[in-house]
Amino acid sequence: MSTFALAGGSFVREHLRARLTLAMLVLIPVFFVVIFASVLGQFAKALGGTMAGEATSAISAGWAAAFLCGALAFFQVSSSRGADRRLAAAGLGALHVALARIAAAIVLGIVVSAVAFLTLLVRSGIAHPAHAAAAILAFALVYVGVGALIGSLVAGPLEGSLLVVLVFAVDVFSGPSMTSSGGVLSYGPSRDAATLLIAAGTGHGSPGGDWLAVAASVLVALTVALGAFWLAARSRA
Amino acid sequence: MRKRFGRGVWPWRRHVEVLKGADLEVRAGELVGLVGENGSGKSTLMQIVVGLLARDGGEVDRPARLGYCPQSPMLWEKLTVDEHFALFARAYRLDEPTAEHASEGLLGELQFARYRGYRVEDLSGGTRQKLNLALALMHEPELLLLDEPYAGFDWETYVRFWEMSARRRDSGMGILIVSHLLAERDRLDRVYTLSDGRTSVT
Ligand SMILES: Nc1ncnc2c1ncn2[C@@H]1O[C@H](COP(=O)(O)OP(=O)(O)OP(=O)(O)O)[C@@H](O)[C@H]1O
Ligand SMILES: [Mg+2]
Repeated sequence: MSTFALAGGSFVREHLRARLTLAMLVLIPVFFVVIFASVLGQFAKALGGTMAGEATSAISAGWAAAFLCGALAFFQVSSSRGADRRLAAAGLGALHVALARIAAAIVLGIVVSAVAFLTLLVRSGIAHPAHAAAAILAFALVYVGVGALIGSLVAGPLEGSLLVVLVFAVDVFSGPSMTSSGGVLSYGPSRDAATLLIAAGTGHGSPGGDWLAVAASVLVALTVALGAFWLAARSRA
Repeated sequence: MRKRFGRGVWPWRRHVEVLKGADLEVRAGELVGLVGENGSGKSTLMQIVVGLLARDGGEVDRPARLGYCPQSPMLWEKLTVDEHFALFARAYRLDEPTAEHASEGLLGELQFARYRGYRVEDLSGGTRQKLNLALALMHEPELLLLDEPYAGFDWETYVRFWEMSARRRDSGMGILIVSHLLAERDRLDRVYTLSDGRTSVT
């Protein structure tokens, strides 16, 4: 087995071994798609937005994947900082540790997205399943960037989780179709993925430009995550 | 060697100079002690030598094969003992038979072979410390840095630890060990005292 596969595999196992994480992996998508979706629809209406019923279910699956991935990526940085740095200094190198971490984050992102996607499929069906699956994965990967970045900025698990929740909440309520004006922030980290997912949920296709925008935001997020993992694994000033 | 830490956020940021010109040397086949009050900078000095911390000044001349046993175990809570050996074997670039031989030997020497399949979160404090130490030893380093490695060891393990160290010293390993106990001084070839950011030989 290559070193990369060995380290990446260990880092994936590290997170799938926590029983609570496994429970959350199922419960959060169910909660989001079933309950959060209806609340979100009412909020959107109250705020003057235009989000339709199918769109709120679809986008809630994306939010579930985003939230889980953000939290997991944060803990990938914050809970293993010491051991990762030791391994890097022992000869693996910070870049290799960071690459293994990002591979693990992507694998976890795929798992999380698959669960969210299946929940959505079972609950309400999707007009454009392939588009929706891609958009949910994009949500997940964008939040790998958010979580890892926060992990490299704050050390404490409480502060970090709260910050992930804060970014998440601002992002949710500034999303497309949420408000009439475009919201407090006109560009939350997951905005492009949300546009795509809403289109997939309501049965519209998306223009090529939207796909490019999503690809770009995923690329930026993964680059940020790689940088954050690298910073966490290298020697400190 | 010099090192200062910054604390707080600008404009309240303050710097504390922890190392102001610490200097020490460990040659092959020497067992050297490092003592000093709590907070005098012993762990900081070791982390600089290992490369976990960047230094603000001075030079470090270290051999290619270095082993480091941190003061508080740096391990992954959810990974098993064997998974730790596997990851560190890759970092040290050991081939499979060598790695297997090394981990078997250390599991026997430190007597924790029956915990191989345990996750770190399920290990006792002393057993964690055994793993922490074993990871520093598995590639037979030329220089070994031990930061209070026996914290949590029972008496038997503590005695065995000193035998292990002496054996490795005799076969040419250079060992630097942070220790507080005066009773250990006669086991050491030399003792550095770190005080006010500087080292002195006692
Ligand atoms: N990351 C850090 N940021 C700011 N100050 C630090 C940091 N790490 C250590 N210090 C400070 O540097 C000093 C030396 O710490 P160090 O851990 O090296 O001491 P030590 O000699 O190993 O102590 P002990 O005997 O308790 O292990 C302490 O005053 C500590 O507060
Ligand atoms: Mg110390």
